[in-house]
Amino acid sequence: MRSLALVVTLLMSISAAASEIHPPAQVTAGNGVTIPTSGSGDATFYLIGPAIASKVKVQAGTQVSVGGDQLEHAGRYVAILCASDGCTSANFFVTPAAANKLSFLVHPSRIPVGTPNGITALGIVHDTFQNLVLKPEPVTFSILAKNAKPVSAERPSENGIAWVRLTSARTSGPTKLGAAIGHADEIRVVQQVAADACNLRIKASRDKRGILVETDPVHDCAGNPVPDGTVVSFTASDAAGKTTVDVPIKRDVAKVEMPIEGRARITVASGVVTGNELEVGQ
Amino acid sequence: MRATLLRSGSVLVAVAVLVLGFVGYRLAATADDDLPHVQLNTDNIGPRPIEDLTSKSVPRDYALAWQTMEQALNENRPGLLDGYFTGFAKQDLTRRVNTQAKSGLRTRYTDRGHQVNAVFYSPSGDVMELRDHVQLDMQVLDGSKIIYDEPLSDEFVVLMTPGADRWLVRQLQALNGKKP
Repeated sequence: MRSLALVVTLLMSISAAASEIHPPAQVTAGNGVTIPTSGSGDATFYLIGPAIASKVKVQAGTQVSVGGDQLEHAGRYVAILCASDGCTSANFFVTPAAANKLSFLVHPSRIPVGTPNGITALGIVHDTFQNLVLKPEPVTFSILAKNAKPVSAERPSENGIAWVRLTSARTSGPTKLGAAIGHADEIRVVQQVAADACNLRIKASRDKRGILVETDPVHDCAGNPVPDGTVVSFTASDAAGKTTVDVPIKRDVAKVEMPIEGRARITVASGVVTGNELEVGQ
Repeated sequence: MRATLLRSGSVLVAVAVLVLGFVGYRLAATADDDLPHVQLNTDNIGPRPIEDLTSKSVPRDYALAWQTMEQALNENRPGLLDGYFTGFAKQDLTRRVNTQAKSGLRTRYTDRGHQVNAVFYSPSGDVMELRDHVQLDMQVLDGSKIIYDEPLSDEFVVLMTPGADRWLVRQLQALNGKKP
């Protein structure tokens, strides 16, 4: 009699826990799935994921279809089925699809020419749905300089990121940097500007109001014109003391009129670079 | 009479200042107490070495990101995600909160702490990648009914980028435990 009661209790408890849900353990992002359920009667199906929380009425014991648009984001999903006998749940993971997109970061956007390892190019590998693809993938970085052959190098991504350090070119101007993976490619432009002035030279001539001092055209050591606006400092030392005037370069040249009477020594500098000295006056 | 009133008023103002100060202090202390515990390990970071200040601000801001995310998912307030999330992470979580609210659902997390390994810090300092092993209790509620209640042990890959005055979570993606 006691055994019969135990069997009845067991059967009752089995029937009470009848609703079950069996999602696949793993799904690739963007693919739909059909989730078998067991049990019977009206039920509610819930899907909780990284970018979704949905609730639909279903019949327990049927298959629940989940569209690919609900499974685009990689991560843990929880499928829950609540029927009259309670709620049951199962976890599954959505994994990233094939690498198909790149986030391409280049730093800095403006750099002096000939700076060793001065540019960092970094590609973050994504799938179509912007999930980070952690499987190693080859990323091709290229330099598309004006009037020069493109140069490229391949780097495998590690933890979803590939990166490379580059030395800026010898000539100033915009240079395109590219990164590509599969059919996706991204381009960024880095403005390469002249480096510090080189062989800074000044000449002086007397006019009605004093001494006109001007530089020769200001270039860097590779011959690139130093950009307009770069400040050149002229310093005149005479019996009255020292006077410094800061002048921006305009059309490759910086010039200033200094009200000097008598003898004076004039020096010139731009940034850390100094130029020649001139003695003027009697 | 007027002097007495003035004296009483001053005393009241002083008491109010003290009470407000105490309440403010207690609120700040409570907020700190609720902050998830984040242990950051930077032994394997590279290629850029982490700066001292960054090694303090990243775990603090990452903990604040989790705190605001948990609050946003519990209270269905997507605006809370503005503080410490950006890019895809913010977009995805905002969608999650909005769909939750639409379905009458809420998610409640009890955060049991994060063991975070920094695996990448870009040479220019504009991206940091973390691996976070987190212990959580997760409850899903439909109205006031708990429909799911499980402890979870998850690993997340995280991308953080610096904002104006803090580090922001740009990508937060749970892994299935298998090495890629």
